[in-house]
Amino acid sequence: MDDVIERKQIVDKIIAEKGRSAGSVIPILQAIQTTFNYLPEESLRYVCLKTEITPEQIVGVASFYSQFRMHPVGDHIIKVCVGTACHVKGAGHVYDALKRHFNLVGEEDTDISRRYTLEKVSCLGCCTLAPVVQIDEITYGHVTSDRIGNILSDFEHHQGISGQGKGSFRTADGKEIQGEIRIGLGSCCVASGSEEVKKAIEETIFDTGIKLSLKNVGCVGMCHQVPLVEIIPPKGVPTLYAKVSPEEVRGIIQNHFKPQNKIDRLKNNLYRFFERVQTDAVWEGVKKYAIDTREEQVVDFLDRQIPIATQYRGTINPLDMQEYMDHEGFIAQKNILSGYTSDQIIEVVTRSGLRGRGGAGFPTGRKWRLVAGNHSETKYLICNGDEGDPGAFMDRMLLESYPYRVIEGMVIAAKAVSATHGFFYIRAEYPLALRRIRQALIYCREKNYLGENIMGSGFSFDIEIYEGAGAFVCGEETALMASIEGQRGFPRIRPPFPAVKGLWNQPTLINNTETFAQVPYIIREGADRFSAIGKGESKGTKVFSLAGKINRGGLIEVPMGITVRQIVEEIGGGVQNGKKFKAVQVGGPSGGCVPAELYDTPIDYESLLEVGAMMGSGGLVVLDESDCMVEIARYFLSFTQNESCGKCTFCRIGTKRMLEILTRITSGKGMEKDLDELEYLARWTKKGSLCGLGKSAPNPILSTLKYFREEYIAHINGKCPSGKCQSMIVYQINDLCIGCTMCAQKCPTEAILFKPHEKHVVINDLCIKCDACREVCPVDAVLII
Amino acid sequence: MVKLTIDNKTVEVPAGTSVWQAAKSVGIDIPTMCYIEETEHFTSCMVCLVKEAGSGRFFASCSTPVVEGQVIITNDAETVESRVASLELLLSEHVGDCEAPCQLVCPAHMNIPLMNRLIAAGDFPRALEIVKRDIAIPSILGLICPAPCEAGCRRKQVDEAVSICSLKRFAGDEDLKSTAPYLPEFSTPSGQRVAVIGSGPAGLAAAWYLQLKGHQATIFEKNVEAGGDLRKIDTENLPREILDKEILVILSSGVLIRLNETVDENRFSELQKEYDAVVVAIGTVKDGMSVFGLEKSMHGIITEKHSYLTSSPKVFAIGNSLRNSKMAVRSVGQGKEVAIVIDNYLKTNVVKSFHERFSSKFGKLFEGEFTQYINDSESAVRQHAGREGFTANEAMIEAKRCMHCDCRNPESCVLRELSDRFEVSQRRFKVDERKPVERLIHREGVVYESNKCIKCGICVRLTRQYKEAFGFTFIGRGFDVRVGVSFNESIQKGLVKTAAIVAKACPTGALSMFNEEEQL
Repeated sequence: MDDVIERKQIVDKIIAEKGRSAGSVIPILQAIQTTFNYLPEESLRYVCLKTEITPEQIVGVASFYSQFRMHPVGDHIIKVCVGTACHVKGAGHVYDALKRHFNLVGEEDTDISRRYTLEKVSCLGCCTLAPVVQIDEITYGHVTSDRIGNILSDFEHHQGISGQGKGSFRTADGKEIQGEIRIGLGSCCVASGSEEVKKAIEETIFDTGIKLSLKNVGCVGMCHQVPLVEIIPPKGVPTLYAKVSPEEVRGIIQNHFKPQNKIDRLKNNLYRFFERVQTDAVWEGVKKYAIDTREEQVVDFLDRQIPIATQYRGTINPLDMQEYMDHEGFIAQKNILSGYTSDQIIEVVTRSGLRGRGGAGFPTGRKWRLVAGNHSETKYLICNGDEGDPGAFMDRMLLESYPYRVIEGMVIAAKAVSATHGFFYIRAEYPLALRRIRQALIYCREKNYLGENIMGSGFSFDIEIYEGAGAFVCGEETALMASIEGQRGFPRIRPPFPAVKGLWNQPTLINNTETFAQVPYIIREGADRFSAIGKGESKGTKVFSLAGKINRGGLIEVPMGITVRQIVEEIGGGVQNGKKFKAVQVGGPSGGCVPAELYDTPIDYESLLEVGAMMGSGGLVVLDESDCMVEIARYFLSFTQNESCGKCTFCRIGTKRMLEILTRITSGKGMEKDLDELEYLARWTKKGSLCGLGKSAPNPILSTLKYFREEYIAHINGKCPSGKCQSMIVYQINDLCIGCTMCAQKCPTEAILFKPHEKHVVINDLCIKCDACREVCPVDAVLII
Repeated sequence: MVKLTIDNKTVEVPAGTSVWQAAKSVGIDIPTMCYIEETEHFTSCMVCLVKEAGSGRFFASCSTPVVEGQVIITNDAETVESRVASLELLLSEHVGDCEAPCQLVCPAHMNIPLMNRLIAAGDFPRALEIVKRDIAIPSILGLICPAPCEAGCRRKQVDEAVSICSLKRFAGDEDLKSTAPYLPEFSTPSGQRVAVIGSGPAGLAAAWYLQLKGHQATIFEKNVEAGGDLRKIDTENLPREILDKEILVILSSGVLIRLNETVDENRFSELQKEYDAVVVAIGTVKDGMSVFGLEKSMHGIITEKHSYLTSSPKVFAIGNSLRNSKMAVRSVGQGKEVAIVIDNYLKTNVVKSFHERFSSKFGKLFEGEFTQYINDSESAVRQHAGREGFTANEAMIEAKRCMHCDCRNPESCVLRELSDRFEVSQRRFKVDERKPVERLIHREGVVYESNKCIKCGICVRLTRQYKEAFGFTFIGRGFDVRVGVSFNESIQKGLVKTAAIVAKACPTGALSMFNEEEQL
């Protein structure tokens, strides 16, 4: 009884905080779930009693967004990222291994002790660390199915010691700075262990007494090299250390700096001694990264890039407002507030040739002109940060690393279109971005860069944050607005366009995060400077996340018109492991493939459309000869099918039927006529769907059918040429086998017949094709036939 | 006002009008399922797609406002293909039967469930009317039919099939007992005449239905008594009294019969000249036998499959003369069908195939799924008819065992109507795994079958509009989205004010009134 009353009181408090209107439903549900770890039905009914929210609305909304759970889950949630980059690097095997580990059968997701719940997530935005697994807040990169045990025991270990540790790191005071250490703290870096590295630095500083200022910087973009540590001595050349592990920190620091007094030096040595005694020097579990490369120069990676949205990358601390201002921050905002008319701003943006960076490429100036032209007392402005493409993390990085720049762009846009209220729509899966933006907004208000009468200009504008609850379709602007209004994320037909009738029926400007991030530069440097970059109708730069089978993945900002080859070969350093380049997938589930024969295709809106791909939001996933294109098409379709909102017939059922056909083909049951039906469905789903999600969902199929039709036909004839499709392959051990029994030890189903020092044999009936044997074999004797 | 062109017609409508409404204003009918005028549009079913001539772009006409100067196409091959595509997709997940399996299996396609319900309600004359829509000689068939319908009956999965054949016999016998057996309404006499050669089950049925359609039918029978092969059945199984009585009913419709008159090849040519059409129903064609010079195969006379037209113009053939069969009910069914084909031919001078109306079907119930259907029937063991057939009481008990496998909205269902109109195939995107059936029954209100829902959300919008406390809502997302009552409350609780309203507005048979019968 007390329990019930207590629950009601909690819900009462949540309602008091979030409001009683229909629009508060998603924040209320998020708060309830945060408290109870799921949505108890009694609490939802109680919300309906106490607010304007109806049962129809709350049930519809709670069951629409994937964030919400109607049943309790385990104490810890293990999220296996199945984004594109993780997928091509074997996330499926990792997921299967976890399922086996916890003995989960069928739809079960929580182990018997109710300690862990296993789920797939579409993208954690750490594509360069693929495959990635997140347990609660801890992210593990480069996970393989045979490392599951290590990860879990590492996690358990962290659980045990949470709240301990030295924590109290000593920041050197200004006078005594011996130098600066910069450490990247974007999500990639954190996932790769930069938190541990940071801790090691703090400990080293504490132990050694070396006077150093430790500085956190946003994403440097070189996500393939994380964690990155840069040492900047007061004089001389800065040194950048890549892929640093915590146990190396002390060495690195001491290489550059010496403790200043004898006592510290002594203390230092003492600590090191004790450390060796107390701890296991081998840091196996959390060795999330192999450490071998150490590059001082990263010229190749950065040389071809032009940072605009990512200007001063790796230099500025994301939340340090003074530093942002020292680096030309808020100049554009000051300029427009003190002298520009709405028309003038729009004129500059129009002349710059900037087009929407969310994918469709609608001219930004024209959009602003439309919104400005609709007179209304209330006008909304929304920053679309609902980056849902698996394999894309540009928005996340921009929000995490350049919060002020995005805010500045939004204020400029607000002034141009006379917007009165602003929204950040950010995925709940991006906790760091949410934290940074929340803090940045507070600082901006404090300094009056936001709020009433901004900088004395008479212009008032403020921004609030709306956390997306997990629905890819909400990247579509009408669905996004429905979501803010507290409805299911159903898109609606346009017209009316948001510029005329948007959020709560008021004129609304929606732009992508990256679009806003490029605006301050354009205003500051002038339209011509921006439009001088790029090619044809595609001006300026575009941020891409480069991932997949590539040597140097990461976040890159390049001039429009750069070719695929330049990106892959020059920036990315070519395909990993000396394999052959097969294609690059551009634009995620709404995009297509650019095959090797079109390696020199320039990356701009028009050229990509011409070859059957699409800019999309900017994910570039490099595929090599070992990737099966039919399987890739199936992967993307399973994503869109799963994310379809279910409103219109073509998307709801069409994607499902296409997926069924693709599944048939990849499991060796395809028939000749399946290709015709696939094309028919693809054509009509493209033509007949209501919104962009459905209209672009068939692109991965159409583009692979166009360039890799022979692979489809091979599957129909019973062969997967790349040996990827599980039901069409068998594992075999060849004569290279040295009889080491490693594979047999790893095999989860005892499907390997072995005698030490003799050639082992795979028992195909027992084999579940988890690939563990092939991964572990020291002499590459395990083959896929 | 906005001016645009739709299918070459110039249309002028106020700004904000949808393309669908604009088209309607000039008499162009664009199909739609998810749009009704009582509530706002939702753009879900996509059967209303139209094409913009310049761009070739397709969009939903129900919800897109008109644009000045637009040129819209609603009826070219590509637009028709769009309707076919959307309908075929909707049908691929439509787990519903327009007609019950028993009816689909019946060679005469008799509306068995409706007969059952009328018998159950004690309305025997109406039951007989329903029977006679498809079966001209129910009492006879009630005695001799091998009842393939009962093989299709889903009640088998509960206990035993409904005793359909005996129920039909009961309906027929009740009628024969009356002083004035049932005669349906006749169409206006056409003045045209059809010769029917043979008075077996096929010939009798053809003559009866032709007569009802206003054409004078004349039967030519070589024997002294009518009945053909029926006379060969022993009297134990088919008492002559029943046979004679039922033939008499047929003749009472005005059908003429010329007994003891053999038609040879010469006479046949004369009939061809004298009559507007000839139906050959002469029974089994023996090997080597010539049939008036008509083309034949080893089985019998060759006809066009769905029109029964032989190699000779205006000559049709039915029954065992096509292929020997022991099922009189097949011959009876063909008699009805050929009458429809000939009626159309006499009116239009064109021989058109017999049109089989679209009927959605999903096949067998899964293990245990009958529990969803059983609530529509009453529990009783199968009644066994004695020599004299069912008593009225037995018949009513037996008829109540019927589980109402047929849809409650087979006439008003827009999905069926459009599927029929665009001649689509339900099997095109058929998958192995179908959704389970679910039938929620409120005996004073609606029946909700979620498996027939097309997710148009009309009911969701209406229950919201009428401020139902719980009402319908969308649950889940994507392909797995379903419409259900909020918080899984019962249908009664969900639809306090709107039961009849949503049942009427539902474009399919997903929502229907428990007690309404729209096939009468």
